[in-house]
Amino acid sequence: MSAADVAGAKPLSGERAGALLRNIITRSGVIVTLLVLWEVAARLGWINTFLFPAPSNIAATIWTQSGPDGSPPYAIPMHVLRSMIRLLAGIALAVVIGTVLGVLIGMTRWACMLFQPLISIFMPVPTLAWTPVLLLLTGIDDRTTIIVVFIAAVFEVIYTIVAGIEMMNVKLFWVARSMGASRLQIFFRVIIPAIFPYLITGMRLGTGYAWRALIAAEMLAASSFGLGFMIYDASEYMSTNVIYAGIILIAVLGYLLENVLIGRLEAATTEKWGIQSER
Amino acid sequence: MNARSKPKIVAKGIQKSFGNVLAMEDVTLSIQEREFVAIIGPSGCGKSTFLYLIAGFEKPSGGELTINGNAITGPGPDRGVVFQEFVLFPWLTVLRNITLGLDIQGVKREEAEARALKWIRLTGLSGFENAYPSTLSGGMKQRVAIARALTYDPEVLLLDEPFGALDVQTKNYMIRDLQDLWQEANRTIVMITHSVSEAVHMADRVVVLSSRPSRVIADVRIDVPHPRDRRNPTMHRYEDEITAILSAEVDKAMSLERQIK
Repeated sequence: MSAADVAGAKPLSGERAGALLRNIITRSGVIVTLLVLWEVAARLGWINTFLFPAPSNIAATIWTQSGPDGSPPYAIPMHVLRSMIRLLAGIALAVVIGTVLGVLIGMTRWACMLFQPLISIFMPVPTLAWTPVLLLLTGIDDRTTIIVVFIAAVFEVIYTIVAGIEMMNVKLFWVARSMGASRLQIFFRVIIPAIFPYLITGMRLGTGYAWRALIAAEMLAASSFGLGFMIYDASEYMSTNVIYAGIILIAVLGYLLENVLIGRLEAATTEKWGIQSER
Repeated sequence: MNARSKPKIVAKGIQKSFGNVLAMEDVTLSIQEREFVAIIGPSGCGKSTFLYLIAGFEKPSGGELTINGNAITGPGPDRGVVFQEFVLFPWLTVLRNITLGLDIQGVKREEAEARALKWIRLTGLSGFENAYPSTLSGGMKQRVAIARALTYDPEVLLLDEPFGALDVQTKNYMIRDLQDLWQEANRTIVMITHSVSEAVHMADRVVVLSSRPSRVIADVRIDVPHPRDRRNPTMHRYEDEITAILSAEVDKAMSLERQIK
């Protein structure tokens, strides 16, 4: 076995690609079957097509609303984009602030004593419960929804990072200090890479909560954009097609965010490094 | 005489307690420049702790510990450490692990890699520069740890049971393989080990610590030129001598544990 073999097996060898494909087909097979049954039932009039429009109708709605004939034009891309921007902004904030807080809490006594009780009290509060307060504070616009995303995600990030620091081998620090590393160097060269797998987990959980909280906040806060608003607005006009379109988009995007985006990040880092840190 | 007569690390009456437990009572020892000293002793005698005191990770409860005449107050780039459990950074390749000390000191990438290359060659890691630690065997990981500790040129190299986590065959191979390394390194080396044969094979001096609370009870100079042959009868004599001293202490330590239980 040469050094090249040892150094890095390709992430998708023939065998693994085959297994992945089989996996996707099996999983989507269930969904596809469901959709087909739904379509058939709708066409044959077995179900109330007002309450349960045929998938083909929903698809058509998504198509028209995504184009210039939508109301407003390009409605769906606009709403999706708005929701995504809010989510990413909130997540970015949560990652930066959550990481700094998490590291402080994990590494220093004063931060631990200061923040631990606060976190214990506020973490269980459903993020959505903050929306009315935020509406009063920041009004109906992006800021409220971004803060909702932030709150939903930051607790997860802090929690997993603190756990990550507790799992760290103290000798990693010893090695760095015996090389003369400054505190800043230790932060960026030792702590951040060491807790990265935990940060990813925190991000995945946080993104899940944040996405759900965002949609709900968009519905509650009645801002004029975003997938949540789209559903809320459609319900006012009883356009069940649009409602279902929204639901499907929310589900698909949520899945993609949690699994594909973060999954790729995981593959590029923690899998290469070996899941467990050196002990 | 030889150039080794200048004291590098001096320990005077070192004491170390952990809570109520007195691990080290009175360790007094002088390690000369470029000497290879092996410290051996029964389990629990604090030999690893002594190494951590020199490294600066812990502070003595009493006594004086100096390097080049200056008190040791903390870790620093003048003392490199190799741990039993390797402690490599799993997110860095072999090469980046090895150049880490230089990277931290701000040395430019090309120069750092050039300096690392020498130790990569001497530790037999050529070809593995871009591998990640998770893909390496224990022996390979320890070579990386050793190369890493040598590359940024600390004056002193501290080895904490460096072959303790390796199986016997790998260990023997490493000891044979790395003999040239220590010659090439040409610096003060302090190695903790529980293996008498390892100590006699590699070191200029073997220091034996007593059971807890420990003090120095033997200091044997190994007067056999390198490369040393295991089958040499002089080597056997040294091994027997030290093993006898050590066994007595191990017996004491074992009975101490049984009493406490």
